[in-house]
Amino acid sequence: MTRLLRVELRHNAMVLLLPVVVALFWLTTYRKTVAMAPFWNVRAASLQLNAVLDFAVSVTGTAAWMGSREARHRLTDQLTVTARPRWARLLVPWAATAIWALVVYFGCVAWLYAATAHQASWGGPLWWPVAVGAASVAAFSALGFAVGTCLPSRFTAPLATIAAFFVLALSTQLIHGSQSYWNVSPIVTGPWDMAPQPGVATFYPFAPDLPIAQVMFLVGLTAALLGTLGLPAGAGGRPLRLAAAGLTGAGLLAAGTAAGLAGTGTLGPHGMIDIPALHDAASDRPLRYTPVCSHTAIPVCFNPAYARYLPATAGALAPVLDQIAGLPGAPARIVQESVTYRQEPGNGVAVFYAGRSAGPARVFPVVLADQVPGPAMTAAQMADQAASMYAGGLVRGVIGDGPAASPAQNAVARAVLTAAGVRQLTISSPSGKAARGTDAPDSGRQEVAPGTTAYAAAVRFAALPASARRAWLVRHIAALRAGQVTLEQIP
Amino acid sequence: MNVETEALTRRFGTVTAVAGVDLQAGPGVFGLLGPNGAGKTSLLRMMATAMPPSSGTLRLLGRDPGRYGSRREIRRRLGYLPQNPGYHPGFTVAEHVEYFALLKEVPSARIRAAVATAIDRVGLGDRRRSRLRTLSGGMLRRAGIAQAIVNEPELLLLDEPTAGLDPEQRLAFRALLRDLGQRATVVVSTHLVEDVAAACAQVALMDDGKIVFHGTPEALAARGNGNDAGDTPIERGYSAVLAEARS
Repeated sequence: MTRLLRVELRHNAMVLLLPVVVALFWLTTYRKTVAMAPFWNVRAASLQLNAVLDFAVSVTGTAAWMGSREARHRLTDQLTVTARPRWARLLVPWAATAIWALVVYFGCVAWLYAATAHQASWGGPLWWPVAVGAASVAAFSALGFAVGTCLPSRFTAPLATIAAFFVLALSTQLIHGSQSYWNVSPIVTGPWDMAPQPGVATFYPFAPDLPIAQVMFLVGLTAALLGTLGLPAGAGGRPLRLAAAGLTGAGLLAAGTAAGLAGTGTLGPHGMIDIPALHDAASDRPLRYTPVCSHTAIPVCFNPAYARYLPATAGALAPVLDQIAGLPGAPARIVQESVTYRQEPGNGVAVFYAGRSAGPARVFPVVLADQVPGPAMTAAQMADQAASMYAGGLVRGVIGDGPAASPAQNAVARAVLTAAGVRQLTISSPSGKAARGTDAPDSGRQEVAPGTTAYAAAVRFAALPASARRAWLVRHIAALRAGQVTLEQIP
Repeated sequence: MNVETEALTRRFGTVTAVAGVDLQAGPGVFGLLGPNGAGKTSLLRMMATAMPPSSGTLRLLGRDPGRYGSRREIRRRLGYLPQNPGYHPGFTVAEHVEYFALLKEVPSARIRAAVATAIDRVGLGDRRRSRLRTLSGGMLRRAGIAQAIVNEPELLLLDEPTAGLDPEQRLAFRALLRDLGQRATVVVSTHLVEDVAAACAQVALMDDGKIVFHGTPEALAARGNGNDAGDTPIERGYSAVLAEARS
């Protein structure tokens, strides 16, 4: 068989198609994926989604071409009368097709993962999405080969290619919410309609529930399809055909079970599909990591995966932090928090974050814009958004917050933010429902309208030298927080 | 006897292609003659185990091909060249023959030598590395014969093997047939009666699915007379037997 496989490997149509597949991968997967933020989970999800389409579609057509080869080349009679069982004979060109496709697939994965390893600041490769891709290659090659063998014609391969594309593309159209049998489709990497989130599998381990079900489905499908090739009367002896029937049955059982399992999945709080029968409780425990912190007056600490965003974000917050550092009520650290996810009606996904204090020192929690669904952002855009979202909250946490804030408190807060260069005064509460591009709800927010005495006091205070402003704050912060400072007392 | 048939019949729907053929063939070259549509190819395909008979009995190399185990053993010792042999155009001559050697389960240690011998015997030694798509029709036919004989078959079935061969190649092929017939049963289906006269020890003439003559080429030639159509005695015998069968 090894020698036969060598012959088939030398003459496999997949060899001719390899440059096309690699070019397709570069065009539709590699370029798109490396343009994404260098988070392993984001890259792995993009790889699974796009590479499965590239490889599965092309390998289906190639395998159909190989499967129809005997009939197209009028070799059926000559090969029928050879001693080797037909099933064994057919499995060799299928294996050669799948091997070539898998070799190139793994090469492309290595290429993409090498680029990611070079760019990512933390974490490591996720292999389950890669396994789903590999299983897809095997399954779709088996599908194409079976179709080509059963319906041999020169039109089979192009038609199978087109059909494979539409089957994959349309397999997600019926997904409604996180609980769907269609999640077993190999191009589903998480809640459908929610792009891969950097925060997923960053604060908590990657939960492989869905990929396990997908691999199980694809392996079952492969076994069932290859088994059917051994069922016809001329495929081999009775023992061989019984084995083929057993393989087909086992494959169908595995595929059906996997689809059933996928249907029991729900969106977990950490942004991944949890399947109760496959879920490992260990993946619900937070990952241990050493945060990366800035050297600002108040340290800003991020998950190391977000290290590339730290300088810009810390830089954007630094002017505010310089003003409030050391004052009563100021946080000891600003720490990036994880978010939690919840399935909403339809395909909507709600993202929540909750502030928390850890240890004796007060911690101010932040969530970066990249952690919630929305378009990709540059580090500078994310830093601007972080400053506009959290600077107000930081200042109000020191000066006084809430609906009962005095005009003086509002004026000083406005002045500090203006002096820090934060033009959009938005004050976020430390907890709430996040939606990128909109501010978190802030019921205690008080506007300082131009033309009012509060506005004049704010302008006056902002115009002070930073050292004078800080000195005044140090002396009067207790009275200011207690609401005992009037607008007239603001220098 | 390497081939034994009794009332062998093959039907395709309402058409009876082979109608109750009784035939025995031992070692040597056996010619199967007949006009187009006589049922030669259907009979040969049944002998090759490419299709089962509709009724009757068939024993090949002393085994019943109806049982899978026996059929597989027969196939190991069988060579078959169909009327329109196929090939993978991208394969070289050597790869084509090696491919069949592997599928015929020739022992691994013997494959290299068996491939070389088969290719040399059909005179394609200098084209062993040529891709099949580059070969002429006659060369392709010889490559087909090479794949059929690579396992040194005990039963060799050749359907119109000389079609497309030039006169020189046909002469060489007849010599090869005689050589192969020393050790194996070679059944050659053809409508070129001169090939039969030159190479076959036994001949059967088929018409309308039945064997209408079975004997030596000399006996077939003796059935003709000067009034029958044909340039040679065996052609005249061929015409006479067919005319008698149809009358």
